[in-house]
Amino acid sequence: MRRRSSLILLALAVFFAALSPLVRWYAFPRLAKIPANQYQDMVLEAKDATLLDYGTMRAKKVPKVTIVQTLKGNVEASEEIEKTAGRDVVVWDGLSYVQGPDGEMVSRIPERYVFDAHTQEPVHVKGEMVDGDPVKRTGIEFKWPFLTEKRDYEYFDAQARVTAPIHYKGTQDFRGIEVYYFEQTIPWTKVPFPKTMPVQGITPESVARTGTTRWYSTVRKFWVEPLTGAPVYGEEIHKEELRGGTLLGGRSKVTAFAGHVKMREDYIRSTVDLVESNRALVLLMTSYLPWGFLALGVLLLSLSLYLEARGRGPGEPEPTETAAPQSVSA
Amino acid sequence: MRALAAAATGLALALALVFAITAMGSPAGGTSPKPLLTTVPAHP
Repeated sequence: MRRRSSLILLALAVFFAALSPLVRWYAFPRLAKIPANQYQDMVLEAKDATLLDYGTMRAKKVPKVTIVQTLKGNVEASEEIEKTAGRDVVVWDGLSYVQGPDGEMVSRIPERYVFDAHTQEPVHVKGEMVDGDPVKRTGIEFKWPFLTEKRDYEYFDAQARVTAPIHYKGTQDFRGIEVYYFEQTIPWTKVPFPKTMPVQGITPESVARTGTTRWYSTVRKFWVEPLTGAPVYGEEIHKEELRGGTLLGGRSKVTAFAGHVKMREDYIRSTVDLVESNRALVLLMTSYLPWGFLALGVLLLSLSLYLEARGRGPGEPEPTETAAPQSVSA
Repeated sequence: MRALAAAATGLALALALVFAITAMGSPAGGTSPKPLLTTVPAHP
């Protein structure tokens, strides 16, 4: 009976000991992924910002500019792409909607971002775009990969349609969560006018005919929870200028927007809560289960060996199979 | 010999379980009916 128990315990010990690396190195990379149907909205605000009044073409101080950012997973589009891509793909249809203090639209930039659900590596397909312009992203956007490393990453800037390094600047504590702080600086860069302009009748083409160009510069800051790769907080010191052309009435440049954009407090709290719950799931797969299974395996193996030793007794030879009695013919 | 068979059984069960779970994956669900926002939400 003891012999049988020790064999069962041995099987269980091997079962749990094998599960430990399998969960961490086989199951986790395959199960950890961004859901294709994710929907997320975010509100950012720039208080005491500078905004261009298109009526007078002069910059003025405003109490607040609000940016509403929505990301919506397009499941049908991702399933279509997966047929040929041969991997799990996420398609995010996004909209950055900027609203002035009076509630009027300042700009609206739609984009489509297609990426690998596990690694966040961009997937290049027809339809990938920013404000209707086809783009071919490199690097990451919006989110870092699971198990983010303490190193610089390449980050795609949707305004300039360029990829530039975003630098790891250290580890910090953000509201009780250990986060990696990243910072990217986009120097003054000529960028296209948005397809949807804030004043009716003005189009990017009509502005282009005046010779006026749009320039943009930003310092982008992200505080990223490293296990999930999710930013828990973000800020941007964002500046836009119109330069040259006849539209400015002889001036060389005018500020179109300048402000320190920060996440709204209620969205920070909601993001922190969401990231904390997802962080627990990643920890379960990468730490709690592998170490727990390993400990259980060692414990069961010890118990199995103990039972085996007790079953044999001191000096007792190893039990052998009892030979079946042979028939003897009379 | 019995110990070897028990260990092999444990290993086979662990492999089968992990392969089955990863092969099942997670359901993709459907695209959210919520729109891309053009108004400022009152709360998350």
